[in-house]
Amino acid sequence: MGAVIQTSGLGKQYRRTWALRDCALAIPEGRVVGLVGPNGAGKTTLLRLAVGMLAPTCGTISVLGERPAGGPGQLARVGFVAQDTPVYARMRVADHLRLGAWLNPAWDDELARHRIGQLGLDPRQRAGSLSGGQRAQLALTLALAKRPELLLLDEPVASLDPLARREFLRLLMEAVAEHGVSVVLSSHLVADLERVCDYLIVLVASRVRVAGEVSALLAAHHRLSGPRRDPGTLPASQEVIEESHTDKQSTLLVRTDEPVHDPSWTVRPVSLEDLVLAYMSRAGDDTPARRQRLGVVS
Amino acid sequence: MIRLSLLQFRVQAVTAAAALAGFAILLAVTGPHLASLYAANGISGCQPASCEHLASNFLQQLYAAGTYWVLYLLGVMLILLTPAVIGLFWGAPLIARELETGTSALAWTQSITRTRWLAVKLTVGGLAAMAVTEGLSLMQAWWAAPIGRAVGHGGNGTNLAMGRFSSLVFATHGITPLGYAMFAYAVGVTAGALIRRTVPAMAVTLAIFAAVQIAMPLWIRPNLFPARHTVIPVTSLDSISLQQGGLNGSRFNLGTGNIPGQPGAWLLSSGAVNAAGQATSTTPAACTTQSMENNTSALMDCLASHGTREAISYQPASRYWAFQWTETAIYLALALALAGYCFLRLNRRLS
Repeated sequence: MGAVIQTSGLGKQYRRTWALRDCALAIPEGRVVGLVGPNGAGKTTLLRLAVGMLAPTCGTISVLGERPAGGPGQLARVGFVAQDTPVYARMRVADHLRLGAWLNPAWDDELARHRIGQLGLDPRQRAGSLSGGQRAQLALTLALAKRPELLLLDEPVASLDPLARREFLRLLMEAVAEHGVSVVLSSHLVADLERVCDYLIVLVASRVRVAGEVSALLAAHHRLSGPRRDPGTLPASQEVIEESHTDKQSTLLVRTDEPVHDPSWTVRPVSLEDLVLAYMSRAGDDTPARRQRLGVVS
Repeated sequence: MIRLSLLQFRVQAVTAAAALAGFAILLAVTGPHLASLYAANGISGCQPASCEHLASNFLQQLYAAGTYWVLYLLGVMLILLTPAVIGLFWGAPLIARELETGTSALAWTQSITRTRWLAVKLTVGGLAAMAVTEGLSLMQAWWAAPIGRAVGHGGNGTNLAMGRFSSLVFATHGITPLGYAMFAYAVGVTAGALIRRTVPAMAVTLAIFAAVQIAMPLWIRPNLFPARHTVIPVTSLDSISLQQGGLNGSRFNLGTGNIPGQPGAWLLSSGAVNAAGQATSTTPAACTTQSMENNTSALMDCLASHGTREAISYQPASRYWAFQWTETAIYLALALALAGYCFLRLNRRLS
C-alpha cells in the first residue's frame, strides 16, 4: 500500500521559530488519521504543507506521490477543509456549489445537492449567515463533492458544540465509508477523534512524538505500577513515556514491543487518551540532558 | 474560473456601471448646449485673423457661465481619481481579503492552480479597470471637444484654456487613463499580497499611486524625450509678461505663453539670455532709464539692441502621441512587472 502522505526531514520555520521540525511520516492509505496535539503544536502547519498552502523550509513532502498543489491534477485529488471552515460570507450556498462545479472537473453535483438537502440548508441563504455547524458542513460538502482521494480537515469540529460535533463526525464517517477516501483530521482533543480514527499522530512542540495504527499503539503501551524503582533499571526495550513516583510506589507508562514479564509490575492497558496525554506531557522535558538523566531510549 | 471571477465581481461591476451611467447622463444633458455655444460663436470656418479672438470669447463665455467650468473640473477629477479608487477597492482586497478571511484556503485548494486563479482575477479586474477609466475619458473627450478645438484655435484668457500637454488634460485624454488604471490595480493587488491586510494595503496603494502620479508630470514626463531648444528675439515674442522688479528697475523677467511657429507646443522653460548666451535677469544699464519704465516696447527694443534674447526649451506638438504611447507603455510595463511579482509571491510565499 502506498503512502498518502510521505515526509522526510520536513520543517517549516517562521522567522525565528520552527512550527514543524524533523517530521518524518508515512501515512498509509485508506486510514482515518487523527492528528493530535496541543494548540500551536504544528498541526495546521503540517496540513497546510500537505495542501501546498505553505512551502517547506527544509525537507520534502509528497502527497499521493506528488508535490502538494503541484498542478490541477494533484489539487483535484486532495480535499481540504481549513481551520474555522472558511466560506465566502457574501456568496449564497448555491454559489458555493457552483464554485465547486466550475473549479473541479470531478465534481459530484448530485452528492453536493443531496448533502445540502440532507443538512436542511437553504441554497439561497448567504454563507455568512450560516451557523458554525452549518458552515462546517458546507465546507465539508465542498471538499467531499470534489471526490478527492485524500481529505484533510484542520480542526473541523473545534468551533462546534458537542451535538454538532458528533453529527459532523457521523456524517464524515458515512461519507468516508461510502466513498473510501483517506482522511487526516486534526484536533487538540483526543476525545473527538477516539471514536473515528484508526491511525494516530501525536504532534507536540513542532515535533512528531508518536505515529502509528491505533491498535498497534494501544498494544505496545502499558501502564506499569509496582514498588518504587529507578526507571533507568528497566530493560532497554522498554521506553518510559511517563513516570510518577511516590515514596513507595512507581507508576510508569512504557512503550515496548515485547511482553512485560517482570513479576514486580502490575501491568494494565492504557486508553488512547492516556497515551496521548502521556506523550504531550513528556514534551516539556524533552531536553537531551533530561533524557540522559532519565535514561530514556528513543 | 472565469465564471467564478465574474460571479465574485458582480458588486464591483454594478458599482462601476452605475458610476459610468451617472457620468454619461450628466454629460449627455449638458453636452449639446456646450456644442451649440461653440457653433454660435462661429469658430468653425473662422478667418485666421479672427479665430483666436472668437475662440477666446467662447472660452470666456463658458467660464463665466460657471457650470461648464465646474463640470469640466469634475470630469477631470473623476478620471484622475478613478484609477486610485480601483486600486484601493478592487486591487488591494483581491488577495488581502482572501488571506484575512481565510477563504484563500478554499480558493486555492480547488482543482485549479494559484497561477490560474490569479491570472483570471487580474485579467477580469484589469480589463474592467481599463474599460471604466477609458470609458470615462472618452465621454469627457466627447463632451469637451469644443473646448479642445477652441484652445487649438489659440483661445486663451481663462482657466479653461488648457493645452493638450497641460497635466490635467494630458492625464485625462488619449490612452494614458488605460495605463493609470492597470497600474493602480496592480499596485493594489501587490500591496495586498505583501501586507496581507486590506486596510493598510489600501493606504499604501493610495500613497504609492499618488506619489507616482505627482512625480510623472513634474519630473518624468518632461524628460521622456530630449527637449528642443530655441532662441528667439525678444521682440518676436507674441505674448510677453514683463516685470520690472526692485525700486531702481534694474532687474527683469521675460515670460512667454506661446512659441512662435510652434502652436500647441509644450513649453518646458524659458528665460532671457544675454549676447553671450548666458542666462540673465539684469537689465543693461542703458535700458534702466526712467523713460523705459512705463514704455514696454521701448524697453524691449532697448533689450534687443543690447543682445538680449529669449531661450526656450519645449516639446513640439507633433510629439503628443509619442508622449501618450510612451507614458502608457511605462505604466503598463510597471503593472506587468508588479503582476509578475504577485505570481511569484503567490506561488512561493503565501499561505
